[in-house]
Amino acid sequence: MFERIYNWIDCRIGLTELIRKEFKEYYVPRDVSLWSTLGFVTLVGFLIQAITGIFLLTYYVPHPDHAFASILKIMNRVPYGWLFRTMHIVGANLLMIVLFLHIIFVFYRAGYKKPRELNWLTGAVLFVVILLFCITGYLLPWSQLSYWSTTIMTAIPTIIPGVGDYISRFIKGGEYVTGITLTRFFAFHVAFLPFILIVIAALHVFFIWRTGFSSLYDDPEICKKVVIYTGRPQYKDGKPFYPDFFNKYMLMMFVYLIAMFFIITFNPDMFLSEYAYVQADPLSTPLMIRPPWYFLAPYAMIRVIPNKFLGISIQLILLVLFLVWPFLDTGDEKNIRKRPILLGLFSVAIITWVVLTFLGRF
Amino acid sequence: MRRWVFIVLLVLVMATPLHADFRDLFQRQFIDKPWGGAPIVREGVCVDCHTSKIMNPDYLKIPQEWKMSIHYKNKVSCHDCHGGDPNDAAVSCGTPHSGFIGTPKYREVPELCGRCHVGILKNYLTSGHGKALKTTGKGPNCVTCHGAHNTQKASIDIINDVRCTKCHSYERARIMKQALFSTEKKISELDSIMTSMRKSGALVEDLEKRLFRTTAEFRTIFHTVDVNLVKAKTDEYLNKLGLIEKDLLSLVNEYKFRRNFSAFLLVLFTALGIITYIRQKF
Repeated sequence: MFERIYNWIDCRIGLTELIRKEFKEYYVPRDVSLWSTLGFVTLVGFLIQAITGIFLLTYYVPHPDHAFASILKIMNRVPYGWLFRTMHIVGANLLMIVLFLHIIFVFYRAGYKKPRELNWLTGAVLFVVILLFCITGYLLPWSQLSYWSTTIMTAIPTIIPGVGDYISRFIKGGEYVTGITLTRFFAFHVAFLPFILIVIAALHVFFIWRTGFSSLYDDPEICKKVVIYTGRPQYKDGKPFYPDFFNKYMLMMFVYLIAMFFIITFNPDMFLSEYAYVQADPLSTPLMIRPPWYFLAPYAMIRVIPNKFLGISIQLILLVLFLVWPFLDTGDEKNIRKRPILLGLFSVAIITWVVLTFLGRF
Repeated sequence: MRRWVFIVLLVLVMATPLHADFRDLFQRQFIDKPWGGAPIVREGVCVDCHTSKIMNPDYLKIPQEWKMSIHYKNKVSCHDCHGGDPNDAAVSCGTPHSGFIGTPKYREVPELCGRCHVGILKNYLTSGHGKALKTTGKGPNCVTCHGAHNTQKASIDIINDVRCTKCHSYERARIMKQALFSTEKKISELDSIMTSMRKSGALVEDLEKRLFRTTAEFRTIFHTVDVNLVKAKTDEYLNKLGLIEKDLLSLVNEYKFRRNFSAFLLVLFTALGIITYIRQKF
């Protein structure tokens, strides 16, 4: 039965030929490792977010009077609602961890160098879009945690002279976080951002497909002497994508799911605070409220640097540098261990980020 | 050229709603409403005056004490007890017809509190405490045990030798405390489990209401200061608490099921991961 269906499809679109050409006969470079699967794991993580998010969307009510109650109903009355919501919360945090590791690895392996500048650019924009997903999604439960974290985060732009207040008001839809903010964030979270993400993710995958896996053994002459597209690099001394690398993908996908269900089983509230299940009260500021962990570093940086404008300026400059890095670092050398200055800066950046994240907790 | 005109128009169309007049409507309907869902604790002019330099120093601590009280947590504001208009100082404190009470006379305190705590007032007035107040004007009133503004959630610890021996020997109070002990212990246990469950997102609101009602009824009886009555009613209230406990335990079991279900998925994915790892290796 299945064979007949497969044959019916195959004779129309050439599925067998596609699998043979793109998976079995495509050899990935010999220096790829489990770290190279993190992009795929990010995709899996995002698919989990999309599926669980669509489920939550069918029960969530985006109104300040009902949002918190609808979350409690999802957690208590809807069959297996608790599972989908906990997966969504834990998944969002795990996705950020995997994303950070993916970026670190791609940078370490110089995966942004020609001909992969567009891979990096689309990936960096995806990272920003996913951060926006996190910010907008954080408010939706309308709890004390979400309300006051959003109040802190939306106040940050006010540091910018001149237009800062306007930007902050634009984000919130007024002076304070209110019902307008909730509906605005909801619309962004479920309609606008998914559309942007799908388009950019499709471009990202398309660029990866056309440029192939990054390797230290890439021909440095690509797009230098030869200025026409010569096809995806072939690594005959490498390993076939299927089954060798495909198994790595599957293994890492299961590692991701194991991590997710380990947290859900033993500490489902790991990424929440005691204020996560208290309804938002604009007149009662909880003690020790802070943004989610992945925003602690920028939050701490603004607090640590006495001049707030300088703090936000540094962050904006770092963001621009992050986006356009492939167009600044255009040298041929891909091995970061042969570039001590870059390796030093890279190490300092990671250590600073960890320290600032730690400081942001207090 | 046409493309640029289209883009400019598109930007204008998208930007216009952000500054259109309907934002005023939103301002009224969204921003000015207490979107936390709970009613606002109206501080009004009471706190303004009671924290200002013109206030008698003895009354300056009142707002701070009130903000630490169970009344504040339950959104009970100054005018709910003292009357007056929290939006207008002149009407609030200056004119008797506004219903402003100010500091009630010692004898009148039970009636003031009893406007909300109706059942407790009824039992208190029949008790030795209430009769003493009405006949001699010196018996204990509500604030003797519960305090005036920093009123805390009542517990069995209110009955202690320091407080009770101000007026009489501790012996009778000790017997009463023993009679209350088993019921109060169960109330405390259930309250603690519910607090912990609520922090995990469990919907315990109905159970909390039932516990609150049962506790309030039981404590109403206590205000008769009749040990025999409290002892006679203890079994009845323990049964009521037992029913609440049964429903609470079914909720606790639901959480255990969740954990087991999640553990099952953990084991499943671990097994699949191991199989994939073995396939990859060999």
